[in-house]
Amino acid sequence: METIWLYQFRLIVIGDSTVGKSCLIRRFTEGRFAQVSDPTVGVDFFSRLVEIEPGKRIKLQIWDTAGQERFRSITRAYYRNSVGGLLLFDITNRRSFQNVHNWLEEAQSHVQPHSIVFLLVGHKCDLEAQRQVTQQEAEKLAGAYGMRYVETSARDAINVEKAFVDLTRDIFELVRSGDIKIQDGWEGVKSGFVPNTVHSSEEVTKGGRQCFC
Amino acid sequence: MATENRINFWRRNAKVPGRYHKDTKPNFNNLKTKKASSFHEFARSTNDAWDIDDEEEDDFLGTPAPTLSLHPTSTHNQCTQQQLQNLADDTDTGMMHPPTKGQHLQDVQEEDGDCEHLNGKFVKSSSEADLNMSSVRSSLQKQQSLPVRPIIPLVARISDQNASGAPPMTVREKSRLDKFKQLLASPNTDLEELRKHSWSGIPREVRPITWRLLSGYLPANKERRELVLKRKREEYFGFIEQYYHSRTDEHYKDTYRQIHIDIPRTNPLIPLFQQPAVQEVFERILFIWAIRHPASGYVQGINDLVTPFFVVFLSEFVTEDMENFEVAALPLETQRNIEADSFWCMSKLLDGIQDNYTFAQPGIQNKVKALEELVSRIDEDVHNHFKKYEVEYLQFAFRWMNNLLMRELPLRCTIRLWDTYQAEAEGFSHFHLYVCAAFLIEWRKEILSMVDFQGLLMLLQNLPTIHWGNEEVGLLLAEAYRLKYMFADAPSHYKR
Repeated sequence: METIWLYQFRLIVIGDSTVGKSCLIRRFTEGRFAQVSDPTVGVDFFSRLVEIEPGKRIKLQIWDTAGQERFRSITRAYYRNSVGGLLLFDITNRRSFQNVHNWLEEAQSHVQPHSIVFLLVGHKCDLEAQRQVTQQEAEKLAGAYGMRYVETSARDAINVEKAFVDLTRDIFELVRSGDIKIQDGWEGVKSGFVPNTVHSSEEVTKGGRQCFC
Repeated sequence: MATENRINFWRRNAKVPGRYHKDTKPNFNNLKTKKASSFHEFARSTNDAWDIDDEEEDDFLGTPAPTLSLHPTSTHNQCTQQQLQNLADDTDTGMMHPPTKGQHLQDVQEEDGDCEHLNGKFVKSSSEADLNMSSVRSSLQKQQSLPVRPIIPLVARISDQNASGAPPMTVREKSRLDKFKQLLASPNTDLEELRKHSWSGIPREVRPITWRLLSGYLPANKERRELVLKRKREEYFGFIEQYYHSRTDEHYKDTYRQIHIDIPRTNPLIPLFQQPAVQEVFERILFIWAIRHPASGYVQGINDLVTPFFVVFLSEFVTEDMENFEVAALPLETQRNIEADSFWCMSKLLDGIQDNYTFAQPGIQNKVKALEELVSRIDEDVHNHFKKYEVEYLQFAFRWMNNLLMRELPLRCTIRLWDTYQAEAEGFSHFHLYVCAAFLIEWRKEILSMVDFQGLLMLLQNLPTIHWGNEEVGLLLAEAYRLKYMFADAPSHYKR
């Protein structure tokens, strides 16, 4: 049967090559950590349902993008129809942090006339010994751009749920307050089905880790 | 519309060998009365046609008609997983030819014929089976409609290079191999003839040299080959000496860094590719190619393209269990030869598709557009279904083009596919488009059963080809050939 959800949000996940975008998404949508995965070429699609409040479910459609520069002509087409984004860097790779600014510029120049709610993600936080970016400076950068900051690990399943759910809640609030509006011809936010049975939350897994694709 | 085209193709085109007419071959048993609406159905409905054809060809070749009896039942049941693998993968059995050559398309059936399904087990049948065993055959026929297939494990996906466990060669396979050997041994190999024979799959034993010839790396003149190989291998290692140290230079260090982090992620599930000696080979090949082709440089996806060449050239020296073979154990010169040959053949391949990897990837953009256009003509249902649910071709077909379907198919299938790509003029750059279209239509039933964007995308990103072998690739290629014939080479066949 059709899964019941209030809204559908489209998210985009961006960041340098090998910061762990695909691994983070797989942990979130499939609940497992892939030790090895082919480099993403172009864009891959994932999906999951999250419950932000009891009985309030949001369907997330997530675009996983290739980090390599040559694929920009493909990936940039996906900004326009995204309402939210996770911008990843690898805390053990300073360069990927330095590129955060470039990624925001890239996104902003291709999202017009819409805008994207971004969350800054310091990934691979299980590798504390190899850390090259401190939490303070990452928080400072995030603050300067008005973003939240969260440190995650797909390997150890740290804050993965939190990253996606926090972002989803933020977008939900903006939709509720009218700051983000549903528009025809824009895929960023879509309204879902709200039948009377919406109060029953039994279909949603307890850990919220099941993939509903 | 699409269905009608398919039927017309088989019915009207007398030159294209298809089914025997019932009136001319009244003894053609088991022919289903249902009209074939696709190549696949056609293939299934004429499943026993190869028997007759086989006889004819054997006669033609002057070989005595085989008077072999059916294998004892016990042998059938002893088919191991390994044998399944080899059976399914052995290209010697893939006898499909491009239909223009006036050859019998029933040959396609050999792929079915050599290894038929029986309750999930395989029996050796076909050319070695007594033709009088019609009762046995008809029971096989029934079983064949069942979708029972053994699952071939992913990690075993390059076992087709192994010699062990391979079934004994049939008379036909032997004569086919002899034909290749004869062509290869002549003072000047007839490349046209070699292409013609390669189209339907190259026997494992002669695949390395045939690939070198078809890619244009090795000259047709036999006397010159040794010298050319020596010179080209030296040239490659000259590049290494001259340029490889520059990987740490400011100008190239990003390129090298990207290659270096991608190599461990290339074929991650096969132990062979986790060996340092092998990873270094891939790094050198890719780095040298990248800096010699600055217009594209290194693009993810190109790393995959080294693999088939490396595996095929390595297969000359490995008889079994290639996935775990210790490459460092080979003589250094052998290792170097495999590396240099892989580099040159990959370079030849990339020469034809470089615009896939240059700025904005115009080659891919154009081919995805062409795919969309083609599908809109051959299968309106699928095309409109995508439209209805807002699926864009670029969303799934970008990878099909960027990685030449290597992410969608097991490696053994890619190797078989490349036999044909190298036999076709512009195989990688042009024929691939028709293969992609045929591949998409292959899943039309599954596609049409998905009624939302999400389901469609998830399906298209994860098409279940894990069990695929030569049989499926053979049918795919036949369908691609048909599409190319109808929509490109003879556009007047299509009236919108």
